Amino acid sequence: MTREPATLDVPLVELVDRLLNRGVVLTGELTISVAGVDLIYLGLSVVLSSVDTIRRAGAEV
Amino acid sequence: MTLLLRAIVAPDDAAVVDDIGLTTVFGAAVAALASPWDKALAAEEGELLEHHRIIQSVFERVPCLPARFGSVFPDADALHSRLVEREVDFASQLARLGRRCELAITCAWRDKGVPSPVSIVPASTGRAYLERGLKRTRSDREREVRAEAIVGRLLSELATERSFVRHRTCPRPAVAVSMSVLVTRDEIGGISSRLERLGAQLPDVTIVVQGPWAPYTFAVSE
Repeated sequence: MTREPATLDVPLVELVDRLLNRGVVLTGELTISVAGVDLIYLGLSVVLSSVDTIRRAGAEV
Repeated sequence: MTLLLRAIVAPDDAAVVDDIGLTTVFGAAVAALASPWDKALAAEEGELLEHHRIIQSVFERVPCLPARFGSVFPDADALHSRLVEREVDFASQLARLGRRCELAITCAWRDKGVPSPVSIVPASTGRAYLERGLKRTRSDREREVRAEAIVGRLLSELATERSFVRHRTCPRPAVAVSMSVLVTRDEIGGISSRLERLGAQLPDVTIVVQGPWAPYTFAVSE
């Protein structure tokens, strides 16, 4: 498929969405840390701030 | 020893992935694969991508249910006690999904999704503010209608069982459709070709296909 500048972030965000929003869960509430701040996990929006750091490695996935 | 859950597999399959170096906790109907974890849980670069890499390593060899990132347990006993509560459901899911994998199909707006810098400049009057809001609402509605039409085209091209498809329209400003499709590996080539042809017919979006991944979207926790 053609890749254009506007879509360069798409692959990484779609992957992060699945890693954090989907898949089986065995615990009740998930507590994770984003940029050193503990958060009760609510959804993809809470991790968007970390996408800049993730992006650098995104091409390797 | 604290453990971070990576995936659920059939008990007989656990030995197949023994060399990946995960800790295995057995139930009667399924087994949990986990990693020792001795630091704070952070949804950052290294941890997320490592989680994906490990799941993919398992999934390349045996069917698995990928774990959502972040399920940690104080020890193997704690993981075991939670596992046995859910193992009938997990075994059922493993049987249902089998070797099917997930394709992520994303339709990104070519140029209409991202608000222009002008739109974030404060309005000079209340009327201008309201008119701008109305215009944006109409634009959002038009995009939503268009995204639904694109979903229809995608479903037509995929021609797969409806229960094997999940989608969201306009989940982010730059994205028209985010879709997950459960497929067999031998279906991937044909699907990619059909989507490529469809992409050439859609002037307003770019289609990005990723995968095959473990079935993140279709492995669910009731």
